[in-house]
Amino acid sequence: MVHLSSLLLKNYHGGYVVIRLALAGHKQANRPFYRIVAAYNKRARDGKYIEQLGTYDPLPNIYNEKLVSFNFDRIKYWIGCGAHPTKPISKLLGLAGFFPLHPMTITEAERQRAQTEPIAAGPGDDLQQGQKEAEP
Amino acid sequence: MFQVIGGRGVQVTRLLAPGRAVLVEAVRGRKSRTDTVAKSKQGRIKVPPPVDPTEMVVLKERYAEYEMITRALRLEFKEEVLRKKYEEETGSMAEEHRALMVFNDQENLRMLQQRVVRIQMEKEEAENKQVEAAIERELQQQEFIKEKEREILKLQEDAKNFITLENLDQRIEEALDSPKNYNFAVDKEGRVVKQTMLQ
Repeated sequence: MVHLSSLLLKNYHGGYVVIRLALAGHKQANRPFYRIVAAYNKRARDGKYIEQLGTYDPLPNIYNEKLVSFNFDRIKYWIGCGAHPTKPISKLLGLAGFFPLHPMTITEAERQRAQTEPIAAGPGDDLQQGQKEAEP
Repeated sequence: MFQVIGGRGVQVTRLLAPGRAVLVEAVRGRKSRTDTVAKSKQGRIKVPPPVDPTEMVVLKERYAEYEMITRALRLEFKEEVLRKKYEEETGSMAEEHRALMVFNDQENLRMLQQRVVRIQMEKEEAENKQVEAAIERELQQQEFIKEKEREILKLQEDAKNFITLENLDQRIEEALDSPKNYNFAVDKEGRVVKQTMLQ
């Protein structure tokens, strides 16, 4: 389907372009599939977008892979035009190597490792957990 | 949600010191001011998520680095977009453009050389003028001094003919002895006649 969005773009006062995930295909329940999309900030999440820049499938396939695709050329163009990527997009791009690794990715991995270590090493690493819970 | 944490932004790095555990403000969610609080939420005190200070420091550093890198990337992409647009416009005239730029550079060089020579000449002229002005001033000063000396000498000579207390009587006698006649007559044609009838 040919999108004429480039010719019919509405002018938003104070609006800006974002690169974000938009849910595609509401026809199936419990089977999400995201499109990586450049859209205006004010638009609905699944509404009219300016350009599609890739896909993201959150459910792993039979080989236990989550497939992501990016159109790096166009992403570069949109970021050069001043688009803001959202947090999940930044994380995905960081994992892909296009952006630097997002700090929260590293932090989440460290936290998970800290949580799984006590289970592996026995009930001796309760200090870290206790420290985290003691800080309200 | 909360009025403190409003809008987009890095919400994680906002709370470093988890000092306050109690939030003062209530939240206006689905219910209005007059709706009763639900039974299960009667004594609930909302508390921000717990924060580990060491982790927070590390996170802040990581975020600073990350933001620096993303900012640099964004500027790079911006530059690339602008360059592509520029090249699109001047793609057909690239050779002309280059030739014109070379010509411009040559012209600039030539003008620079001319300017340098001109400035040198002007500087030398200014220096010469200054030297001449200094000489002029010296001469003026010398003239002035000489003038003053001449006046002094003249005054000294005139001083010999002054009337003093000792000369007073003598001079009065002299003046009375020699009467001077200031009368004269003038004709319509302008002929002056000093000789008159002395009394």
